[in-house]
Amino acid sequence: MKRLNLFLSLFVLLAVMLSACAPAATPAPANPDLILATTTSTQDSGLLDVLIPLFEAQTGYKVKTVAVGTGAALKMGEEGNADVLLVHAPASEAALMDAGFGKDRMLVMHNDFIIVGPADDPAKIKELGPKDAFAAIYNAGVPFVSRADDSGTNKMELSFWKKAELDPTTEKPAWYIESGQGMGATLTIASEKAAYTLTDRATYLANKGNLQLEILLEGDNALLNVYHVITVNPDKWPKTNYDGALAFAKFMTDPATQAVIASFGVDKFGQPLFYPDADRTDADLGL
Amino acid sequence: MTDLLPITLLSLQVSTLATLISLLIGLPLGTALALSKFPGRAFIMSLINTGMALPPVVVGLFVAMSLWRSGPLGDLKLIYTPAAIVIVQTIIASPVVTGLTAAALQQLDPRLRLQLYGLGASRVQMIFSLWREARLPLLAALMAGFGSVISEIGASMMVGGNIKGQTRVLTTAIVLETGKGEFETAIALSIFLLTITFLVNWALTAIQQRGRQ
Amino acid sequence: MTVLIEVRDLLVQREKKTVLEIEHLSVEAGEALAVVGPNGAGKSTLFLTLARLLKAARGTIHFDGTSSLNTLEYRRRIALVLQEPLLMDASVKDNAAIGLRFRGISKAESDRRVGHWLGRLGVAHLAERPARKLSGGESQRVSLTRAFVLQPELLLLDEPFTALDAPTRLRLLDDLKSVLAETSTTTIFITHDLQEAAKLATRMAVMLNGRVHQVGEPRQVFAHPADAQVAEFLGTQGG
Repeated sequence: MKRLNLFLSLFVLLAVMLSACAPAATPAPANPDLILATTTSTQDSGLLDVLIPLFEAQTGYKVKTVAVGTGAALKMGEEGNADVLLVHAPASEAALMDAGFGKDRMLVMHNDFIIVGPADDPAKIKELGPKDAFAAIYNAGVPFVSRADDSGTNKMELSFWKKAELDPTTEKPAWYIESGQGMGATLTIASEKAAYTLTDRATYLANKGNLQLEILLEGDNALLNVYHVITVNPDKWPKTNYDGALAFAKFMTDPATQAVIASFGVDKFGQPLFYPDADRTDADLGL
Repeated sequence: MTDLLPITLLSLQVSTLATLISLLIGLPLGTALALSKFPGRAFIMSLINTGMALPPVVVGLFVAMSLWRSGPLGDLKLIYTPAAIVIVQTIIASPVVTGLTAAALQQLDPRLRLQLYGLGASRVQMIFSLWREARLPLLAALMAGFGSVISEIGASMMVGGNIKGQTRVLTTAIVLETGKGEFETAIALSIFLLTITFLVNWALTAIQQRGRQ
Repeated sequence: MTVLIEVRDLLVQREKKTVLEIEHLSVEAGEALAVVGPNGAGKSTLFLTLARLLKAARGTIHFDGTSSLNTLEYRRRIALVLQEPLLMDASVKDNAAIGLRFRGISKAESDRRVGHWLGRLGVAHLAERPARKLSGGESQRVSLTRAFVLQPELLLLDEPFTALDAPTRLRLLDDLKSVLAETSTTTIFITHDLQEAAKLATRMAVMLNGRVHQVGEPRQVFAHPADAQVAEFLGTQGG
């Protein structure tokens, strides 16, 4: 019986403990809960760990940042399981907007993709443009790691194979490695196998200390990775927190926030990880 | 990393609560399965056995789909809360506790029940006596239930969302930090997790072995 | 002498087959009735039915003049000793006290009774010992203690000494006989050992194929078997 009493009191104690996890409110909007769907690479960069607390303090919204693959994030928008999206897959985003699932879509920032690989560059891509670089890798048959997870990065990679009129995803040659994982894990695999891979600069810089990969190709306009914030359309999904979503979108494009974005990562990596674009248009970025 | 303690605390809270709820469900249900004959007993028994072998991530997927706004229980607003993790972990641990409780009681001599009744036990007294008699395997059932959820990742990730400060537990945090390349943090979290599982099992094993006389 | 327990028109079935059919059987207060018979004769069925652990399809059991006691009340006026002692994973003392705990007897009274009976049955020195670590004979003494502390109006024993070796059995038989004599506990015990029956019983009932063929003093039954089947049973046992 004693043990039963012990269990019961432990149970009560825990119930109290858990119920004590109630959120505190500063300025309190009517519906403070906001679900932000974004991608794992965005979260892994650490930018949101800086921006979200600022947003919450300013507006009183409590943000649940759910980081999933690009495909899942967009799907959450389509199914009304999120209120606002921060994603970087412009072609798929256009499809989402055309189908009417997004209401507002605002340009936020960009970073760029780079091709990294072993320092000795066996496929000799250093002086080439991106399309030719992919062709060179294919012809040399050197290892290349693909995200293979329908992410924004993956889609960019596939667009380059397509431009070069090559199709390793169908042919599946031995040198083409499909990790199916996030950018950090994919970089680790590439490093271990002395392989090339396409990555966003932010994740590469964050992981650089653990990797034996060098930047071999960068700077081409075709390698821009553009981020938009999209509010989920309340006409399609009345239960979404549109006010909160719009507040977040405005926050992300606000000059003060844009300045924070511009300075993010500079002291740690010596260069910014993101470039703010709220004052520009899609056309400026070649979209 | 200042988050280490809140993450560890949440892991403990959530998994301990889930295990205790599983005990409240599994102990009576397992006892009924072991001691009574009722229509559908064999069916429920096979459900329990299947439940014990169920991949946790599958449970996570189905619970997440139910708790999403687009799902049938969306209005409960449980998705991405610690409560959702408790729910999914309870679903995972309950079959374990139930199945092992039933096994523990079935191992007792069936004539023991007759003997206890023959000494004037009421049904409740008889059940409590059997529980006391099987306390060592019952404690093992509890340990197994806890073990099945403290190390769980997939389901906790799906229904909890691994949200910083809200639903980030040890396992999901380890995956996150590893994915970011923060191996030192991941290792620190792993040591915390290992320490917890070791301490809990050590404590329960000590109680169990002390009872062995 | 008053009748403590009386069975009338009893019919017990297992899976639609009749396994026990007794028109009349009565046991007087203070007497020890041995129920003997070959395997499958229905002795255990009678035992379980008298303990109300098995339900009869038909018939009544009058206990102390009434047949309307609820099951728990009835069971708390009797005590059972089975062939296997089935002691719990606890000390000898705690095992002996278990029936007293069920009845809510005070700790003081419980300790007194347990102390007395453990001594009376010669196992007081084992009181703190884990019950699992006893020999066969010691375990059965604890099982008997467990029954006697309850001061039952009726004691039911199912082949309590069958699993023991001969010398242990003889010693236990002697002890049980003297305890029964002191307490005048009404006893019904199953046995297939006719010597045991002869030694302990005031009367003996011979059961064959689910029916009671003969009841009487052991000497009488041996000398004058009621029919050929009883004679054959007693004969093969070398009575």
